[in-house]
Amino acid sequence: MVECLKDKKVLTKGNYAIANAAVLAGCQCYFGYPITPQSEIGEFMSGKMQELGRAYVSAESELAAINMVIGAVSTGVKAMTSSSSCAVALMQEGLSYAAADELPVVLVSVMRGGPGLGNIYPSQGDYFQATKGGGDGDYKLIVLAPSTVQECADLTYKAFYLAQKYRNPTVLLADGMLGQMMEPVEYKQNPYPEIDNSNWALTGAKGRKGRIIRSYAPLASDRCEFLEKLYKKYKLIEENETEWEEIGVEDADVVLVSFGGTARNVKIAAKMCREKGIKAGVLRPITLFPFPHKRLFELSKKVKKFITVEVNMGQMVNDVRLAVNGNAPVELIHKPVGIPPAPEEIVKQIEELI
Amino acid sequence: MEKSFLIAGFGGQGVLLAGEVLANAFMYAGKNVTWYPSYGAEMRGGTVNCSVKMSDTEIGSVQDSTSDYIIVLNQASFDRFLPSVSKNGTIIVNTSLASDTKVRDDINYVFFPITQTADEKLNSTKMTNIIALGILARATGLLDLKDLEKALDTVIPPHRKNLLPLNLQALKIGYEYDLLHV
Repeated sequence: MVECLKDKKVLTKGNYAIANAAVLAGCQCYFGYPITPQSEIGEFMSGKMQELGRAYVSAESELAAINMVIGAVSTGVKAMTSSSSCAVALMQEGLSYAAADELPVVLVSVMRGGPGLGNIYPSQGDYFQATKGGGDGDYKLIVLAPSTVQECADLTYKAFYLAQKYRNPTVLLADGMLGQMMEPVEYKQNPYPEIDNSNWALTGAKGRKGRIIRSYAPLASDRCEFLEKLYKKYKLIEENETEWEEIGVEDADVVLVSFGGTARNVKIAAKMCREKGIKAGVLRPITLFPFPHKRLFELSKKVKKFITVEVNMGQMVNDVRLAVNGNAPVELIHKPVGIPPAPEEIVKQIEELI
Repeated sequence: MEKSFLIAGFGGQGVLLAGEVLANAFMYAGKNVTWYPSYGAEMRGGTVNCSVKMSDTEIGSVQDSTSDYIIVLNQASFDRFLPSVSKNGTIIVNTSLASDTKVRDDINYVFFPITQTADEKLNSTKMTNIIALGILARATGLLDLKDLEKALDTVIPPHRKNLLPLNLQALKIGYEYDLLHV
């Protein structure tokens, strides 16, 4: 194990925190193709995985990388890939297959500016890409959104755990700011138990019947049954795993909803609002799927207004509106791309909106 | 208390490294801290900068429109970041490479021929960034030399450890610079 970085506070970039935590979580295989702003993950893995006798493959394309992960996790080992925006777009087919095959694929998606080739600056423009998906058919990915470098590490452990526990592809959705910024981080012992996958993994059919993992279902009835089962699993994930952070929402007139790196500035903005006598609270979804619909609905019965703050043209705001279901107005403060709007700027816009 | 810092200069002057040392030192001093680089189409010889924030409480934004302390190691950085010094803030100017200086009367100045000093006293202009850091540490009064020394040891990679004594010397030259003789 990488003892040097365990139980010690170090100043590190979000990308390195993710990579190091993945190694500590027991990731046996990394497959990837470099792209800014997440290249440090592959860089770290290229050295560390070889040092530990694990697998690192610099894939020929993103399509290859995601399919290599599918192959590796089918055998029961923990494996991952990491990429950004326009390159995660190339992995959508693989993610749909992994969801259909119920495979514990872990994808780290470090968002940059889009659409198209876009630019390398931070963005939250892939909220839809991660939570709604670009692959075919009815499927969901578990999506975790860190807000600090410490959470980049902690949620990486969690991503591997949830992927295994539910046999479902899981995305750690960070952004260019979190990937590139440094903050102190402590790598704790992996807090999650190992999941037994001996009843499904393809480990060679010695002494047992062969197994097939595939998503092809020629009979309509089979597919109906399968999708019902799949959605029961998603329901279970919603019941068990929905996670969020809330600050000062109990007496709030305005609840600010924000995820990831942007929520950092929003928390400060809420504090500044309180100092000005505006009763503001913050709800930060940590899991984007499952989304804290229930909690938002509960709050909507007494909150006067919700304001989502995002670095995109307004994506999560749609999920907040669905959750609130017309009980309260839901407004949007946003910036198309770049580092999040300054807390002062957020406060100014809140004052205009209330 | 929350303070913001910005270090700017040519690519290759060790701007990002100086920021990393500063951020590590704050971590060792028990503070919350963030470090954020300018990144984009950066290149050697172009300008580069990084922002460091320290606070006793949770840090929100990693980069602000103004900073309490700004180090500028070249002329281009002086011209660009002079307006970004917070009111009553401080700018530390490497006059060896930034001699055309305008004055704002609502901020503090530290003028010092850092690169020239590095060359004369240490025979290495590469020590510019670390001398500047020493000056900054003294100007802020927020950092002990020992935290900075420990941070230098952390940031300098194993294969460059032979340069640690020179860096420690540079840090001391900056730290012991008498600001009142400006």
